[in-house]
Amino acid sequence: MSKVVEISPTTRHEGHSKLTLKVNDQGIIETGNWCSITPVRGVEKLAVGKTPEQVPKIASRVCGICPIAHCLAATEAMEASIKCEIPNDAKLLRQILQLANRLHSHALHDILILPDFYIPGTETKINPFTAEEPVRTVAKRIQRLREIGQTIGQIAGGDCIHPRNTRIGGMYRNVSEQAKTKMYDLAKEGLVLAHAQSEFMIAVIRNYHKRDFVDVGGMKVPMPKDLGYHSQGYLATHPFYGSSSLEECPTWDPRRFKEARPWDWYMGEMTVDLEEPRYPIGGTTKAGTKVNPQMEACTGIPMYDGQPVEVGPRARLVTYKNFDEKGTLGQNVAREMEYQDSLYEMLDCIDELNTAGKVVADYIPNGDGSLGWASNEAPRGTDVHLARVKDWKVQYFSMLVPTTWNFATCSAALRGAPWQLAEVIMRGYDPCVSCATHMVVLDEDNKLVAQKLIQ
Amino acid sequence: MGAELGKYKSVISARSTDKELLKHAQDGGIVSSLFAFALDEGIIDGAIVAASKEFAAKNPSKVIIDSSNFDMIEPWRPIPAIVNTKAELLAAAGTKYNISPNVALLKEATRAFGLDKIGIVGTPCQMQAVRKAQLYPIGMRDVGASIALAVGIFCMENFPYQSILQLVEDHAAMKLESVKKMEIGKGKFWVYGKRGQVVQLPLKVTHKYEQPGCHVCLDYVANLGDISTGSVGSPDGWSTVFVRSKIGDSVWAKAMAAGVFETQPMEKVKPGLELVTKLANEKITKNKATLEARKTFGVGKALRNPYI
Repeated sequence: MSKVVEISPTTRHEGHSKLTLKVNDQGIIETGNWCSITPVRGVEKLAVGKTPEQVPKIASRVCGICPIAHCLAATEAMEASIKCEIPNDAKLLRQILQLANRLHSHALHDILILPDFYIPGTETKINPFTAEEPVRTVAKRIQRLREIGQTIGQIAGGDCIHPRNTRIGGMYRNVSEQAKTKMYDLAKEGLVLAHAQSEFMIAVIRNYHKRDFVDVGGMKVPMPKDLGYHSQGYLATHPFYGSSSLEECPTWDPRRFKEARPWDWYMGEMTVDLEEPRYPIGGTTKAGTKVNPQMEACTGIPMYDGQPVEVGPRARLVTYKNFDEKGTLGQNVAREMEYQDSLYEMLDCIDELNTAGKVVADYIPNGDGSLGWASNEAPRGTDVHLARVKDWKVQYFSMLVPTTWNFATCSAALRGAPWQLAEVIMRGYDPCVSCATHMVVLDEDNKLVAQKLIQ
Repeated sequence: MGAELGKYKSVISARSTDKELLKHAQDGGIVSSLFAFALDEGIIDGAIVAASKEFAAKNPSKVIIDSSNFDMIEPWRPIPAIVNTKAELLAAAGTKYNISPNVALLKEATRAFGLDKIGIVGTPCQMQAVRKAQLYPIGMRDVGASIALAVGIFCMENFPYQSILQLVEDHAAMKLESVKKMEIGKGKFWVYGKRGQVVQLPLKVTHKYEQPGCHVCLDYVANLGDISTGSVGSPDGWSTVFVRSKIGDSVWAKAMAAGVFETQPMEKVKPGLELVTKLANEKITKNKATLEARKTFGVGKALRNPYI
């Protein structure tokens, strides 16, 4: 006899989401629904009728965790639509900016997942805010890595949260030789820290997944060896940056993409009948509460070739580096492995950057209304923006953001895990929920049916 | 009044010991020498100063301007620039007598220019803006901590660029391109031509060209600078220097120890601190009257007096 348990809201990630889980008598998840309950942003609607240089700035405001990816993807979608080629130095600055954001975001994610793990060899869970060693050193290192990422982002992009140096046709200005040296020095420092950080994190993550039992709010929960496994595919468009052309990256074709509606995908109305007051923090939802993921979920379900796919660090490593670890373990390890990659790549970009080079395209067309798209590998996965620009006005704008892809995939990955570990699986996706919430939903005939959500 | 000179630790009459630098300087070469010294010592790693079109043409990477209309930039139009060496400092030295938006470069200095320790020079109102940026860093993330030395300059009022154009080309009957130096002193506005001609305009003539916004300012001697300086109070070729903050004090002490400046005690020089006090009081009294008059403006809300 299956029971329904709900964890709402989920914690230690960006945004507002919840887990509605149908579990068997042993507490193993039979069907899991992870859905966003963040209110709709409406950026895609706001964008229509604006000029192309406004839209990336608006799109960036959808969230403060990976605004760089949104800003760059939106900018490049506009450029793809108007068919504008940007100078190489502008591209390098964008890449530096993007990698700096990834460095910062991964470090931030470390802080968020650390409380799940144990100090290896002990029964002590890690509190990243304690003043005691060895955790103190790790926390300081994480903060320094974030500072390095944000400072490099500030130099390359003008601002580290909502970059103001990016523009349609390139960048507003190149950096000075002094700034280039500063970025290089910071990246070099970051590399040393990143090596230490990723080694520490991988040790801690492996230790956690090797345990037979883990503690969740005083409950002894068996740790399955296949935690978070799923059989969905992977989607990545570039090992670290992104792409806006099918020739450059044949794996992402907008025509192979479809979006299903949440009420066709998620579970219908149910009543919570399993309540666990010990579950941190403050227990699960009270028994007797009516839940309805179908109507509460604020996302569409994107499908590639008719199936939800996983995006994110593991997808990138699987696609481009033959990475083969699966499940939550594989995801977390892959993320840690990206630390050094992003810094090495950043150093290459800074090396190549010519500070006297031109950063704005000579000719910026007004656009003829053709569809342009750009993918950008945000820290947590592939962020694709689509746009149509005609006569310097945006006619259509759509964002397919990383966590939207992962909602459905993660829901599949929940199956077979103890329900107490559902949040651990979810955190493995480094969710960033607020941008995932959007309202342009197409039905099978490509007709807009988002109105149903508003009703 | 008593508070017209702001808080200061010491006041002294000084001039640079660098003869080469004095040739380029407006008066005692205080700002240029101080920044040159601070750059050498690593106290700052770049300074924001008011440069010119010629400077921008030679050093396009040191300024932020739209190069598409570069030819349309007028002579004597101040262009804020980042300088990193003494040579660049000298190329940018000298007072321009109209508004240079130095604070506009403050944020970008920490970004695309990659500075960690910024030196900035500006008028009293610009010092206020710098301190505000440090106190309430809205849109100025990570900027406040990067300001290493703020040097204020005495300011009675400023002119918009169009006023300078009018004063020089109409009243002084000179072409702006042919002007070598402009100066306000001894109650007159002086214009020195490159061919050696000198024109003096009584300040009575220039008053109506002043920027109206300046007439609410109650700060003559840059109360909020780490160090503030100006020619008033000291003999020709010398400058009066107020050392105000801990930072200013330490930088000034180091510069003195290194022999960057020669000094005379303020009590010994003519016209001395009395003139500075007199002019400061004049400015404050005059502008308080404007503030009073503006109480009746618009929605009937008086501008707040920032000094009480």
